[in-house]
Amino acid sequence: MLALLSSGVWAVDYEKEIKPLLKERCYACHGALKQKAGLRLDTATAMRKGGDGGDILAKDHSMLLDRVTTTDKDDRMPPEGEGSLLTAVQVAKLQEWVATGALAPAQEKPEDDPRAHWAYQRPKSSGHSMDELLAARLGAKNLKPQSEAAPELWLRRVYLDLSGLPPTPAQIHVFLQDTSAPARLRVVDHLLSTPQYGERWARHFMDIWRYCDWYGLGAQLRHSQKHLWHWRDWIVESLNADKGYDQMIVQMLAADELAPEDRDNLRATGFLARSYYLFNRTTWLDETLEHTCRAFLGLTMQCVKCHDHKYDPIEQTDYYRMRAIFEPLHVRLDPWEGESDFEKNGLPRVFDLHLDQPTYRHVRGDEKNEDKSKPMPPGVPRVLEFASYEPKVVNLPPASSHPVLLPFVLKDHLDAADQQLAQAQKAGNADDVKLAGLRRAMIQVVHAADLALGDKAIAQAAALAEALYLAAKAENDLAQTEAAPKAKDADKKIKTAREAVEKARKKLAAPGDAYTSLTASLKAQEGPEDKGNDKVQSYPKTSTGRRLELARWIADKRNPLTARVLVNHVWARHFGVPLVADVGDFGRRALVPLHQDVLDSLTTGFMENGWSMKWLHRTLVMSDLYRRSSSNAGVDPQTLATDPDNLFLWRMNPRRMESQLVRDSLLHLSGRLDLTLGGPSLDPAKAETSPRRSLYFIQNADVEHRFLAVFDNSNVLECYLRNESVVPQQALALTNSRISRDCADALAVSMAKLDTTAFIDDSFLAILGRLPLEAERKASLEGFRALNGDRSLFLLALINHNDFVTLR
Amino acid sequence: MTPRLPPTPFLRRDILGGLGSIAVASMLRAEETWRPPDGLPMIPQRAKRVIWLFMRGGVSHMESFDPKPMVTKYAGKSIGETPYKDVQNPEKLKKVRVVVVNDANGQQRNVIYPLQTGFKRYGDCGVEISDWFPHIGSCADEIAFIRSMWTTDDNHGAQVQFHSGRHMLEPRVPTLGAWVTYGLGSMTDNLPSFINMGPRFFDVRDGHYLGPAYDAVNLKVDPKNSLTYAAPEFQIGRSQQEAQFDLIHRLNALNAEQYPGDKTLAARMKSYQLAYNMQTAVPETMNLEAESEETKKLYGMDDKVTEPFARQLIVARRLAERGVRFIQLQHGDGAAGAWDSHSGLKKNHSSLAQQVDKPISGLLKDLKQRGMLDDTLVVFATEFGRTPGTQGSDGRDHHPFGFSVWMAGGGIKGGTIHGSTDELGFHAVEHPHYVTDVHATILHQLGLDPHRLEIPGRKRLERDFGKVIPQILA
Repeated sequence: MLALLSSGVWAVDYEKEIKPLLKERCYACHGALKQKAGLRLDTATAMRKGGDGGDILAKDHSMLLDRVTTTDKDDRMPPEGEGSLLTAVQVAKLQEWVATGALAPAQEKPEDDPRAHWAYQRPKSSGHSMDELLAARLGAKNLKPQSEAAPELWLRRVYLDLSGLPPTPAQIHVFLQDTSAPARLRVVDHLLSTPQYGERWARHFMDIWRYCDWYGLGAQLRHSQKHLWHWRDWIVESLNADKGYDQMIVQMLAADELAPEDRDNLRATGFLARSYYLFNRTTWLDETLEHTCRAFLGLTMQCVKCHDHKYDPIEQTDYYRMRAIFEPLHVRLDPWEGESDFEKNGLPRVFDLHLDQPTYRHVRGDEKNEDKSKPMPPGVPRVLEFASYEPKVVNLPPASSHPVLLPFVLKDHLDAADQQLAQAQKAGNADDVKLAGLRRAMIQVVHAADLALGDKAIAQAAALAEALYLAAKAENDLAQTEAAPKAKDADKKIKTAREAVEKARKKLAAPGDAYTSLTASLKAQEGPEDKGNDKVQSYPKTSTGRRLELARWIADKRNPLTARVLVNHVWARHFGVPLVADVGDFGRRALVPLHQDVLDSLTTGFMENGWSMKWLHRTLVMSDLYRRSSSNAGVDPQTLATDPDNLFLWRMNPRRMESQLVRDSLLHLSGRLDLTLGGPSLDPAKAETSPRRSLYFIQNADVEHRFLAVFDNSNVLECYLRNESVVPQQALALTNSRISRDCADALAVSMAKLDTTAFIDDSFLAILGRLPLEAERKASLEGFRALNGDRSLFLLALINHNDFVTLR
Repeated sequence: MTPRLPPTPFLRRDILGGLGSIAVASMLRAEETWRPPDGLPMIPQRAKRVIWLFMRGGVSHMESFDPKPMVTKYAGKSIGETPYKDVQNPEKLKKVRVVVVNDANGQQRNVIYPLQTGFKRYGDCGVEISDWFPHIGSCADEIAFIRSMWTTDDNHGAQVQFHSGRHMLEPRVPTLGAWVTYGLGSMTDNLPSFINMGPRFFDVRDGHYLGPAYDAVNLKVDPKNSLTYAAPEFQIGRSQQEAQFDLIHRLNALNAEQYPGDKTLAARMKSYQLAYNMQTAVPETMNLEAESEETKKLYGMDDKVTEPFARQLIVARRLAERGVRFIQLQHGDGAAGAWDSHSGLKKNHSSLAQQVDKPISGLLKDLKQRGMLDDTLVVFATEFGRTPGTQGSDGRDHHPFGFSVWMAGGGIKGGTIHGSTDELGFHAVEHPHYVTDVHATILHQLGLDPHRLEIPGRKRLERDFGKVIPQILA
């Protein structure tokens, strides 16, 4: 074989066979990113110049060949742990190339400086609209844009895109009276002003930001936090208020440092509370770091945990400097006004707990192997450090470090005691009435002691009040136990109750000044061994300010990534295909996008317009592109032949409804959809027939809504873009489920008075948002007859039409 | 029976695979020439399908397929008092990654617990198997036993690890069944190609970044309720439904004229055909009336104890016959899995073994008599073994350092005893294998090269690919 090769029959092509191999296997350490041993392999000239050991392509003794063939573990390339050895064929190619003189093009260009990567440069506007830019590119390529889609299809697109619900036949009729641009803008503005807009887009961001209700093993909370739905409601409300995206980022990462008393916006930190993990702090922080970077910056950090980035100019130390930003972070529930029981409600929020906890680099990402020689200071990746990272310590107001000082805490505790009192009075139980009264008194004194922190006299009063209450409670319990001598283990229980009374009496005799504070917060466990977490009621008086500084750096107009990444996400959800292919990776593997000018013009416009999402939606859906047909029919053949995949955007891309849209649309069509906003998450198993919108169901790794699951529901672990699979289970769900049938039945009732032709037309209009073509009308009539004129079954068939689940 | 649908070309990938799968498509860079696999074997194919039997909870290796007389000999002594005290050398224990710190379970157990059952040699290969698995013993010469498995999770997250190759504290990645169906696609127009039966707990997804189209479809053996939405949740006659599917097809076909070249529409039309067929194929597969009494007996359908698992295994064989690619069975209820015998190991294991032993041997014999064993790979696995030391008075704890699995059929060399643990069954010492070596071997037999299944942007670690175990191949 070697003889064959060297005979020149299979001449080696450097550009096609050698360079891609070196790029794939060697450039990460010997290219523009890094030059280990002073060596670069990205041009033949660089290889001739060699590194510390000189020319590596010498014909008589090529070090390149030596290193890729040696069996010496210390010398082999790629080194152990950096991937497998080259294959025999690859080595033979290299040998052949060296033996024939290592030919390469004369003006070979070295790899670009990694810092010059397009996405690391600030976007500049071209001064043109997206339509002008796209039209110019189509013209230059001699591609002809597709004609406009029928206005009713455009209408269905904007309704589903902006509110997540299809237009009703009445809304279609009104629109068809006037389909001018101003009329379209009125429709768009109206949709953006409805609360359903916030729900629709909150669901998109819940995907990207990994919304996940708490779960664990049985009652044990292992992931996320209880009542995380407060964060979901904050997302919906923020979108509806068109809060700037930059502000949203700052609030999600650092609302507790930005405005500690702004309780509404503390909900935003659910973004960080979501990654809470009971068993492993490193896993928790890894996820926090990785997904913060991917969601907001399009930076992939997971590989930097163990080693310097293979593609991007990001080093392992950057990872641990970022970890240091989150190192003090912890999670707790603050009270929610009107409820003193944390099982029932509470505000999941983050705060800095261990202010001085050092961060060490984990050698090769091994958490058991910390490099303690050098604590890592907090910081952002150097390559993107356009301003120095200088966190300032935040002094917290008293109620932030002592939640018991929140104005409603006393009232909510007293209300709970009053309820107990009212119940006892109603039951006519004098002992219970007395007990509830004592509880009420205790709450007041204890609260006073909590406020007068350190005042010994009040503390003694609190201790006494508590002792009185506990003694009475113990007596009460004993009386109850003794009243049921035949209960299971009665003897044992009575004995225990007597001992409790003894103890309580002793305490009452000498109450001292130690008392139990009112429960006004619930600190999350720091690992399963942390049993005293519910006793902790006071927290540090300062916060490190590290997250606030990070958030401001992310949400800074000078950050070249943040707004671009957002625009790309929103674009992908309006046009089906993102401008930058991997929405979560804007690193060097992301080639310069074909439509970079469009992306950058939109990005600068977005920032100039106060990071307004509504501005962005309006701009995108009012574009020429958004009006175009998604069909290949009637297109210029040359255009189809040149660009069959529509890379140049000569037509619109059809899209499939996300799972939530399928379900919500069915409910909407049947007139059953309940438009109530917000509130606790619903258990899908218990609320199978609930008419609420789909974003309100519990979503975590344990619970799954069986209908939503079929249509590629979001994966709570990671979902930067939904899948659009086509599987037979979807057909089964739409033909056989109760929810489809109910929708068909309800529509049939509403159309009962129509004659057959009008019925068929209206069915199309309601379900597909358009009237049937003549051939479709004919086929429908025949099909309707074959169904013996069963209107429900006909409507059910239309629900299964591909255009129902498709945004045409 | 079947509605009058004109045949559409079978779009192997388009139906159950990557079409419109954004997770995959988004990884594509415009200038790269990467394409998803075409569904054809990449290397010579020895097996066409896999029946994967997973015992949840952790089967004691020394009381199943790796008996250790020394634990009986040194029973009651602490490990430090035996000549094998070096097994507890801290260096050797380092590979474990703990999830639940200081959990009651997953601890070192020092006092050696004797074997709770006897063992004897089976077959020409003379492999020692415990007395709880006599029927599997009778198939010993069809089986390659791997006695040198190890893993890193000392808790039941190891179930995820055994299916995916990754520890619970690492990001979730596709499981073996997802890779197989992604790589080879479907062999049937009537059934999904990746099916799971039985309870799962720690991760109910398989596809992960390949997309949910590669999640296993969960089937129950109950013919009346085997698949979600497989039967209408309301009254509708067969002929009515046929007319309905007919109409759906006609309207979609007309739509295709308006949208020429729309591959998603073509795939959806095909998916309706498959869905329609599944409505009959799934209950038909679950209905065992056509099985002979002899066959049912072979699996143990005639005995209350063995009947539940026997039924699943007959169904597994029927799914295999009908072209399903990867049939994944999970045995043992509960979050942790029924085999998790921290106490009462003797009662627990003897009873669970009885539930599965005869059915599994029945499956092997049945596949063989039907000529299917040649191209059907049967895998028996569990997440870890159990400690040589006692937990409480009569249990064994989780043991990730050494345990056993086995494979049969599909080009596996029967009667092979591969690898070993030390005298106490503590560490895998000879030919130790991490779980992905099992994956690599299965993929190899199916004709797939895991390196060529990589997806741009989703770089896998070398360990994720595993190494083929050549010694157990025929």
